[in-house]
Amino acid sequence: MESLTDQLKTEKKYILALDAGGTMTDTILVMDDGTFTVGKALTNKQNESASYLESVDDAAKSVGLTSAKVHEQAAISIYAGTGMLNTLLTGTGKKVGLLVTRGFEDISIMEGGLTYLGQTQSEILHNQLHSHTRPIVDPQNVYGVSERISGGSYFMDKHIAPGTVLASLSEKHVRSGVEKLIAAKVEVIGILFINSYIDISHEHRAKEIALDVLKKSDVDIPVVCSSDIAPVSKENNRLKSLLLQCSAAEHTRETITNVEKAAQADGYDGRLLTLLSYGGAVNVEYPRLYETVISGPVGGMMGAQVMSRKLGLKNVCTADMGGTSFDVGLIVNNMLSIRKDPDFAGHRLALPMVAIDSVGSGAGSAIWIDEYKRLHVGPESAGSDVGLCYKYDKLTVTDVNVAMGYVDPKYFLGGKITLDAEKARKALKETIADPLGLDIYEAGKGILEVVNAQMREAAKAIMVSKGYNTRDFTMMCYGGAGPVHMWGYTQDFELADVITFPYAAAFSAFGGACAEYLHRYHKGVVLTIPNGSTDAEKTKIALKIDQAMRSLEDTARLEMKAEGVDPEKLEYRYGFYGRYMGQLESFETLIDLSCIKTPGDLDRIIAAFEDMYTNIYPEGARFPDAGYAVTEVFVQAIAPKAMPVIISHELQGETPPDSAYVETRQVSHEGKFYDFKVWQMSELQAGNVVQGPSIIRDPMTTVIIPPEKRVEIDQYMVLHYR
Amino acid sequence: MKTVTEEGVFAEKTLKFKLNQRDKLYSETGHYWGVKELTLKEQDPIRYERFFSRLQSSVFAAREKARFVAASPGGREMGESLWALTTAEGDTLAISLGFISHAAAFPVSIKHMTDNDFEENPGINDGDVFGADDPMTSGAPHPGDTYTLVPIVIEGEVLAWACSVNHIMEAGAPQAGSWPVFTVDTFMDGFVFPPMKTGENLRQAKWWENLWMRRTRAGAMNVLDDKMRLAGCSMIHHSLHEIIKEYGVEYYRQACKEIIEESRRMILDNMRSTMVPGQYEGSCFRISMLKGQQKIWPHADKDELIHVHGVLSVDKKGSLVWDTEGSSRWGYHGFNGYPGGADVALHLQMTTTFAHNVKATGGVNMNVESIYHKGSIYNPDTEFASCANIWAQSMQMECVAGNAIHLSFFMRGYLEEAFAVDDAWEGIQGSGVLDDGTPYGFTNFEWVGGTAMGAYSFKDGMPTAWCSHTQLCNIGNSEEFEYLIPPTHHLGRKLEPGYCGHGKHRGGIGQTAVHWMKETGQRLGVTRGGVATSLTSYVSLGMNGGYPAPGVVTVTAKDTNLDEVFAAGGDTPTTAGELLEYAKEGKITGNVKGWKYDPPEQSMGEDDLWANAAGGSGGWGDPLERDIDAVVEDIRIGQVPEGFAKVMYGVVATKDENDLVILNEPETKAERERLYARRRSESIPAKQWWAEERKKIIEKNMRNELLVMYRKSVCFDGYNKHFKEFWQLDEDFEI
Repeated sequence: MESLTDQLKTEKKYILALDAGGTMTDTILVMDDGTFTVGKALTNKQNESASYLESVDDAAKSVGLTSAKVHEQAAISIYAGTGMLNTLLTGTGKKVGLLVTRGFEDISIMEGGLTYLGQTQSEILHNQLHSHTRPIVDPQNVYGVSERISGGSYFMDKHIAPGTVLASLSEKHVRSGVEKLIAAKVEVIGILFINSYIDISHEHRAKEIALDVLKKSDVDIPVVCSSDIAPVSKENNRLKSLLLQCSAAEHTRETITNVEKAAQADGYDGRLLTLLSYGGAVNVEYPRLYETVISGPVGGMMGAQVMSRKLGLKNVCTADMGGTSFDVGLIVNNMLSIRKDPDFAGHRLALPMVAIDSVGSGAGSAIWIDEYKRLHVGPESAGSDVGLCYKYDKLTVTDVNVAMGYVDPKYFLGGKITLDAEKARKALKETIADPLGLDIYEAGKGILEVVNAQMREAAKAIMVSKGYNTRDFTMMCYGGAGPVHMWGYTQDFELADVITFPYAAAFSAFGGACAEYLHRYHKGVVLTIPNGSTDAEKTKIALKIDQAMRSLEDTARLEMKAEGVDPEKLEYRYGFYGRYMGQLESFETLIDLSCIKTPGDLDRIIAAFEDMYTNIYPEGARFPDAGYAVTEVFVQAIAPKAMPVIISHELQGETPPDSAYVETRQVSHEGKFYDFKVWQMSELQAGNVVQGPSIIRDPMTTVIIPPEKRVEIDQYMVLHYR
Repeated sequence: MKTVTEEGVFAEKTLKFKLNQRDKLYSETGHYWGVKELTLKEQDPIRYERFFSRLQSSVFAAREKARFVAASPGGREMGESLWALTTAEGDTLAISLGFISHAAAFPVSIKHMTDNDFEENPGINDGDVFGADDPMTSGAPHPGDTYTLVPIVIEGEVLAWACSVNHIMEAGAPQAGSWPVFTVDTFMDGFVFPPMKTGENLRQAKWWENLWMRRTRAGAMNVLDDKMRLAGCSMIHHSLHEIIKEYGVEYYRQACKEIIEESRRMILDNMRSTMVPGQYEGSCFRISMLKGQQKIWPHADKDELIHVHGVLSVDKKGSLVWDTEGSSRWGYHGFNGYPGGADVALHLQMTTTFAHNVKATGGVNMNVESIYHKGSIYNPDTEFASCANIWAQSMQMECVAGNAIHLSFFMRGYLEEAFAVDDAWEGIQGSGVLDDGTPYGFTNFEWVGGTAMGAYSFKDGMPTAWCSHTQLCNIGNSEEFEYLIPPTHHLGRKLEPGYCGHGKHRGGIGQTAVHWMKETGQRLGVTRGGVATSLTSYVSLGMNGGYPAPGVVTVTAKDTNLDEVFAAGGDTPTTAGELLEYAKEGKITGNVKGWKYDPPEQSMGEDDLWANAAGGSGGWGDPLERDIDAVVEDIRIGQVPEGFAKVMYGVVATKDENDLVILNEPETKAERERLYARRRSESIPAKQWWAEERKKIIEKNMRNELLVMYRKSVCFDGYNKHFKEFWQLDEDFEI
């Protein structure tokens, strides 16, 4: 077995990964043999350092250690959470001042419209109630600066070239704007000029002037340019990224720095890492810290990526069912799918983010019927109140699982909480079964059919809508409720395999520990490849793409060096965003070339684009006659980092040991009562096969195996549901 | 393939039979297809809901995937597109977000194809592709809205249609863009085609792409939009085959009927519970300024005043009847339309208002009866009327109906639902030739994607927050529009201070753009397209004493000194208002002109400017009752100029050198008293006003355009009676 120490080339034993949520800060402590333990503490929003140490200590205690002992031997500590979201929602971020191209002073109020972001279908339809999200910047602290640079056009060299200065920068405007912002006591200044993603010169010159004015005024506050934060087209999205960076990210940087200091004071001698929304980990020096804004669900995706490599799976559909939602994502050819303009807390960002689709089906989702006898599931959720069987005042999916017998009311969280099964059954009868004229178990069966179908459709949609065949994908099921519903949402679903893990409930935290140390760099370009381009023209375009790739690599080396990484140890991955001429959307295309210099190289990347496009769309949607455009080039730079080890166990016999058997209990499944055997997860061994009808119980989750189905446990203790 | 045998074995499966039977049963029973009991729902409600959920998700997935193929910002993200699944008869079963009211158009195309025996020739086979944009035969409001329809056929029976529509970039009319204004008849509307088969097996024919390339000025972009529509329809087609395979044809047939009937009932419940029965009447007007523009067609070379009139009747059950009698007769201009397109406009708010919490299906259409009188602008008694700019006219109609609904909400106490409805959107359009001879055409949709929300009875409206024709308010990005339309660059894209309907609560502030022309090549011609110019009084009359939204203003500046202003480091205009102000002050020189009606095509050159202000919304309540602190705040944030605050709100306040607003309380009190006193002195009793106006009518003492407008309205019997009753005119009086 490969040891953690071998991989690290250090004497360190542990990996720490923490997920600081709104309520709890969870720790996963990975030991040097690849096993791990979990710790918890209430999140202290006023002093996250305290809850960090408390949570680490809780995990350490379970293996007879202290936080200091763990920190001394920790190869790495990763800290992710919802701090930036909370900062945004509570309006407690930095006070931002903004310089924009003259004529765009109201951009933060108008915000491109977009009053429907984050709403449900019925809320979107009900547009009388739409309103804007609260602006991140006070509109009074926005000043216009006369300047203009061309962004180029669809007609390329037939019209004004991209980067042409149409109006020079008004230094007078910059100075007077900054002086007013100083008077308004802003804590950070952002600069957003139109088309700066094509040419950074005006923004950077304005920054120099602003710093000069600040220096003369003896004010020390950061000045941030949009072209350094998100150098891509669409000013409204770029603005939101800039404002998030200015307002919340700098605030979060302070918080993480404080946590890092606390960890270091406790004996940790490394840098604290945090997770990026597009996968990967960085330390607090990372300049675009706003890119860590959505990191919770990303952890699971990264864990899935590591597991898929370990298991030799090329294509995986991840299915994360928690208390409030069911999140699905894709890993194709071992790469995470990326979305470019995600919506976050009512804002649309210019930010590459791991593509995850959500539906409001979770274990805590409320269930009710309306006056038309229509059944509704979610999006309202009980969260940690579980359901009527515990503290919530409405029937939930967990109530139904308890009523049907799938979930043992005496073994919830390993028996720490006893659920009121009778209350769940009574509510199911009175609020659903009776009004619909159904028997209680028919009603429960129907509810689970609806919940499972919602999730199944979401999972199918993410694959089919991208043109993939579901039979090429393995579904990886995790989240606290994932193994409970795995049987339902994979029913009649043609998949290569369905797998889950003994630690499914903590899989996202495990994934955080698996994150690569990775940066992603984008550069907007305006390049077209008309039909019938000559070799000379193709060479010219190829060299421009190559130049962009080299320039991004240079930036990567500089930034990584500043973060303490040896630039010589970096690995790179390359890609671009392409489209048919005339299209507005560009599509991410990975390329297996590290240099693009010849017409042949260019043809190869066009072929890669066509392959990608025809995977997504029917033949009739192709339009090669139009020619092609390249709008962005990107590079991923990856540095070495300590990773958890997936242990390979010796395979035992198919029959589970006697010690694993717990009891047999009756469960109403699909309209009939069956005797389900109950097994203890911790006692099962690699090589065991558990035949249905069975339940595998664990303090953190429950695996349901219906009649005619079985679970096979492989050498990595991965559970294959077949 | 022949679907109807001589023996009539398959007769009940033909479209013709289905359409007739549906209408017959609905008319006999008042229920869709005569479905009185929701049997499938009663027997197994969960299976029934699952079935619907499958239909709905297929349509949502289609939109989420296909829209990225688009060439137009409108199609991709601004909500100017739609995908739907309909029954064989064209009634919507499931619909995506976006252009939802276009669901009213699908049945028109399908009826046209049925009436013209398309099942026989050219045949309707599984996966065929049909297209349409002809207002008269397809229900399209205007030729800029282009439809794709793909039938789902099993064993020779059409079971459903996957449908899509989006607003394309350029429609191929003599006047470039997608809303030609200067048209005489349909032959000047552009690339108009009635429903026709354009492809098979989910692929378009090559000739079809060639036609787009040859007959429009943005051929490649229009082809991509066509591919976008088809890509989504193909997905829906595929999904429905899977769903029918799982549930069976019989279940599918019955469930479709039940879903629409169920939805119809729920929507009727919503209407009944939110509306006050009665009649709501409204009028508004538009000028068509073609005198001197159409000299080679003397019959069209005239200015006209167009009357839009409608009465919304609500019965005790909640059903609505919308009667447009009194709206002007059609004319030789682009402001005519046909009933299908008029319904698309009328239904803009019906789904969002009454169907947001139910299954949004064709059931909504069944609870609203629309009456467009033959010969009127909404139903010309000729097949050749131009419909190029009907959308402008229909939006006025829709806002009259919309405000009637919102007043009713207000009366029932649904305050949070009721605001002053306006949709004063605007676009610029045109064509040009680059220096190297490359021709192009364009439409800038930016102000189509979002307008301000009108005032509510308890709060101000918000800017760029709402859009009547889509729920996805989105004005796009300057950087993308500049990429697509190379000579235009935004010198300003912001809010126009004071540009809203004022009131106790003011409407949301409208937006403004200043387009700066650079490298205009061999030629560049620009016009406006949209809704809210060329109207004499806007659609909303204001609510409870509030002012209506202002109409759209266009300002052009030619032969400017802009290069000198830039060189001297001077301020350039960032709003339409500033452009007029700078011209007045001499900061900007050249030929600067404000337009409150449709300007004829303007030839634009280097450093010329085209500015507009659009999207303002109406106010609610008396401005003199507006909270003084709210006016001070408006001044502070720069949204109401100081001078205007005094005139409109009677608030006297000034900004000091630190931008602090100082309120003069005694002067404010005095100013409000003065304004009240002035109102009293200028007012006359309603009886006196009525008598004076009646005298003018009897003596025909008015402008000729007004006189003609009256004549073109009273030519409809019902309105003639209404007109004479109101003014107490003799039976034999003729105006």
